[in-house]
Amino acid sequence: MGPLPRTVELFYDVLSPYSWLGFEILCRYKNIWNVDLQLRPTSIAGVMKNSGNKPPALLPLKAKYMTNDIKLLGQHFQVPIQMPKDFFSVILEKGSLSAMRFLTAVNLEHPEMLEKVSRELWMRVWSRDEDITEPQSILAAAEKAGMSTEGARALLEKISTSQMKNQLKETTEAACRYGAFGLPFTVAHLDGQTHMLFGSDRMELLAHLLGEKWMGPVPPAVSARL
Amino acid sequence: MKNSGNKPPALLPLKAKYMTNDIKLLGQHFQVPIQMPKDFFSVILEKGSLSAMRFLTAVNLEHPEMLEKVSRELWMRVWSRDEDITEPQSILAAAEKAGMSTEGARALLEKISTSQMKNQLKETTEAACRYGAFGLPFTVAHLDGQTHMLFGSDRMELLAHLLGEKWMGPVPPAVSARL
Repeated sequence: MGPLPRTVELFYDVLSPYSWLGFEILCRYKNIWNVDLQLRPTSIAGVMKNSGNKPPALLPLKAKYMTNDIKLLGQHFQVPIQMPKDFFSVILEKGSLSAMRFLTAVNLEHPEMLEKVSRELWMRVWSRDEDITEPQSILAAAEKAGMSTEGARALLEKISTSQMKNQLKETTEAACRYGAFGLPFTVAHLDGQTHMLFGSDRMELLAHLLGEKWMGPVPPAVSARL
Repeated sequence: MKNSGNKPPALLPLKAKYMTNDIKLLGQHFQVPIQMPKDFFSVILEKGSLSAMRFLTAVNLEHPEMLEKVSRELWMRVWSRDEDITEPQSILAAAEKAGMSTEGARALLEKISTSQMKNQLKETTEAACRYGAFGLPFTVAHLDGQTHMLFGSDRMELLAHLLGEKWMGPVPPAVSARL
């Protein structure tokens, strides 16, 4: 048996486009690098509130820059990401609270589905400009990910329970304790140290810290590590 | 920053804390001897870099072949050895370390308060703003009749992709000059 895998936590919110980009890179590398990827559904609104930070899109020149940056990164990372038409409404008004509580429930009861359901929520809001706030929207994403309708409905009923609200809150507080002021926030545990990395653009640095090889955002597919 | 309405990230306490560590890790990975100055708020928010940037503006106008080295020596002072870059003797020391003669450097230093230098720095800054800059570094790549704007030190792999060039990490193997 080789050395133990290093835990890498990814705190993310499906409302955050850069979270999607970071998520896809880590999902690609989790079977290449000797890591144990722990996905942590988090509330970006909670992280912003706690840190006193504001969404970058509130500054007009940053909003303009982001539109193009996301398009170029999507092409480079081969992720079909696209700005929603009314992106201020999506981010600032509609939000993602129900979706993130749903992912919290998936993580608790069907963790093996978390990656796919997260991806289908991103595909809705950040690729096809579809809603993710209504129950039927969340159900559609869960079903597209491969969950049964009954299984998805059962989880949906739990999202307003204090258990789910508290679990999302706790994960968000954990991100804040690590110093997060935005998402995606990656925490790598190695050699008794904790390294905090903000953004989808710190993955090559993560590889360096882990002593692993960086092969760009689209590494050649490899069979699962033995 | 003024033109865009942006603020230095370090004004948010959690960002300042994050940056300290981020810069250290990136410095190790990029093999750049970068180190936070002890009183970094004073350096960034109070002391600034106006004279230094006017000096580099003058170097760019009169000795452009020295611009890379003098820029590097100014960074080595403020961002590696925690030394001043606001006083005339500080700027002179950087220029000399870069290989400029004392007379040559002094001559340029005398020009930094002229309206020519003030205006040239203003014009370059306005050009960055016209490209949509809200912070620095800001890279603008011109290819195939298009202009691509990239913000930050972490968009260089993307730049390689846009240029159709190979990314070999932040410390590529040294190569002899392209023929």
